[in-house]
Amino acid sequence: MFEHDFLAPFPEIFLINATIILLIYEVVLSTSKKYDYPPLVRNVSWLGLLSVVRLGGRVWENEEPYRYLITILLLAANAPLTVANLFYNNLIINNFTYFCQIFLLLNTASTIVMCLDYFKEESLNAFESIVLILLFTRSMLLMISAYDLIAMYLAIELQSLCFYVIPALKRDFEFSTEAGLKYFILGAFSSGILLFGCSMIYGFIGVTNFEELAKIFIGYKITLFGAQSSGIFMGILFIAVGFLFKITTVPFHMWALDVYEGSPTLVTTFFSIAPKISILANMVRVFIYSFYDPTWQQLFFFCSIASMILGALAAMAQNKVKRLLAYSSIGHVGYLFIGFSCGTIEGIQSLLIGVFIYVLMTINVFAIVLALRQNCFKYIADLGALAKTNPILTITLSITMFSYAGIPPLAGFCSKFYLFFVALGCGAYLLALIGVVTIFISCFYYIRFVKIMYFDTPKTWILYKPMDREKSLLLAITLFFITFFFLYPSPFFLITHQMALSLCL
Amino acid sequence: MEFAPICVYLVISLLLSLILIGVSFLFASSSSLAYPEKLLAYECGFDPLDDAKSRFDTRFYLISILFIIFDLEVTFLFPWAVSLNKIGLFGFWSMIVFLLILTIGFIYEWKKGALDWE
Repeated sequence: MFEHDFLAPFPEIFLINATIILLIYEVVLSTSKKYDYPPLVRNVSWLGLLSVVRLGGRVWENEEPYRYLITILLLAANAPLTVANLFYNNLIINNFTYFCQIFLLLNTASTIVMCLDYFKEESLNAFESIVLILLFTRSMLLMISAYDLIAMYLAIELQSLCFYVIPALKRDFEFSTEAGLKYFILGAFSSGILLFGCSMIYGFIGVTNFEELAKIFIGYKITLFGAQSSGIFMGILFIAVGFLFKITTVPFHMWALDVYEGSPTLVTTFFSIAPKISILANMVRVFIYSFYDPTWQQLFFFCSIASMILGALAAMAQNKVKRLLAYSSIGHVGYLFIGFSCGTIEGIQSLLIGVFIYVLMTINVFAIVLALRQNCFKYIADLGALAKTNPILTITLSITMFSYAGIPPLAGFCSKFYLFFVALGCGAYLLALIGVVTIFISCFYYIRFVKIMYFDTPKTWILYKPMDREKSLLLAITLFFITFFFLYPSPFFLITHQMALSLCL
Repeated sequence: MEFAPICVYLVISLLLSLILIGVSFLFASSSSLAYPEKLLAYECGFDPLDDAKSRFDTRFYLISILFIIFDLEVTFLFPWAVSLNKIGLFGFWSMIVFLLILTIGFIYEWKKGALDWE
């Protein structure tokens, strides 16, 4: 009965065990008088990183000789199981989930790498944050492979609970507490709406499995007026709204700004990167696989247009870095929604490519923000004359900002081009038009970064400490991808095409 | 005659409440021991006639959250205990895994000092 069911999610089980063992290890050691209460954050971060990287190890076929036994176990356990339906159809593993999970693990690993130095600088001895990060990695892996409304909701709740705690890490800093409280209230609210939608779907249809829902919704018109069943419409609408809250698109974006600004920069990094991947993957599964209907297209069109416009216009008035990056991430989600709302296979493919490139750029920018955090890098004007004090960092940030703005040979342009190409291909001309116009408008504040770095002289010159080795490696790798993506993008196109195709099986 | 258990139930509940009130009348304090503080309502050590918005220790909140968690754990134990013969060994070990995870949380909380009240 359960032959494959504990074998296939072996990485997730390993991650849970690793999290538990790490938690016990650190709580017992850090409160023991014998070792004089050592602050164990660096220890735990490296161990957490290792366990995440070991999970990602299932990608590599050729093992290097010093691989740990666990990785070999994982490879052996996972090689035959790339397509599986587990736990009475609650979880599914196919190409889509496989690559999404690997991508997610890589991102979490890079974000943990970025924060190793952060803990030392801020002397934040809360090792629990690493445990929480591992736990929500686990929940996001679960969310990507969820195949049932209940499993999806469980995973979303676990992720949200882990996230509620970490914005409030800096307990004596008011902004941080405010961010945590706001995130908690709005996250609980949006989870409530999502659950209400799920329960209405169950009440009116009687099944919660995505595959069963997909079979039921073939050829079933769900329109508002003359509805065959308005209950189902309301249920799906509530689920859509719940998801849109969590991904910070425009009518529901209000919390994101204060949360992103108030939380410690490390946490903002996590917020910008990880939930977007997993919640988008989940949304794709729910709305394109199960509830496929042109009615939702209108809602997502509206959200996409509004997000792009708001992301472009509102960021112009900002002079604080994190708020600007929050607005730019809202705008980017708007662009990603272009691909999502088209509903074609190319649409999903462009969404996945867009997510990949967005994550690369965001990792780059936040690595720079974390590196420059030395003298409370809060305002954009603090970047003044960076070209003279640190020219290589300036070039990195310029290239990333140009990529955000969509300047041609860089990766941001490729992703946006493909997104608009898809929008035109499916007839969403208004979407493409507004997208292009908002790109022009948003160019202003991205290039303003470059202008401040090269041409502004601040009143007091700020000298930044050189960054540590891990962040510089990460910056180099992401910058390499951003700059040279256009030369050889075909592996990513092939992978994302395969992912999008496997969604429609 | 089917209502006999209800009659028994009524009688026992009446008796119990009468006993509870009656005993306090019989063995209550005489006037020599009745000073004002003894007659006031009990509110976990707080002053019952004080402003309701006074500051209090966050440890109360912590205790209530811990209570909720372990109370819900016990709530999950009840149906498991009742149906254990039907779910067999697999059901037993599933619940043990659940209890193990909660025990990990308990160890964490113990070591962090959430159970100390000075």
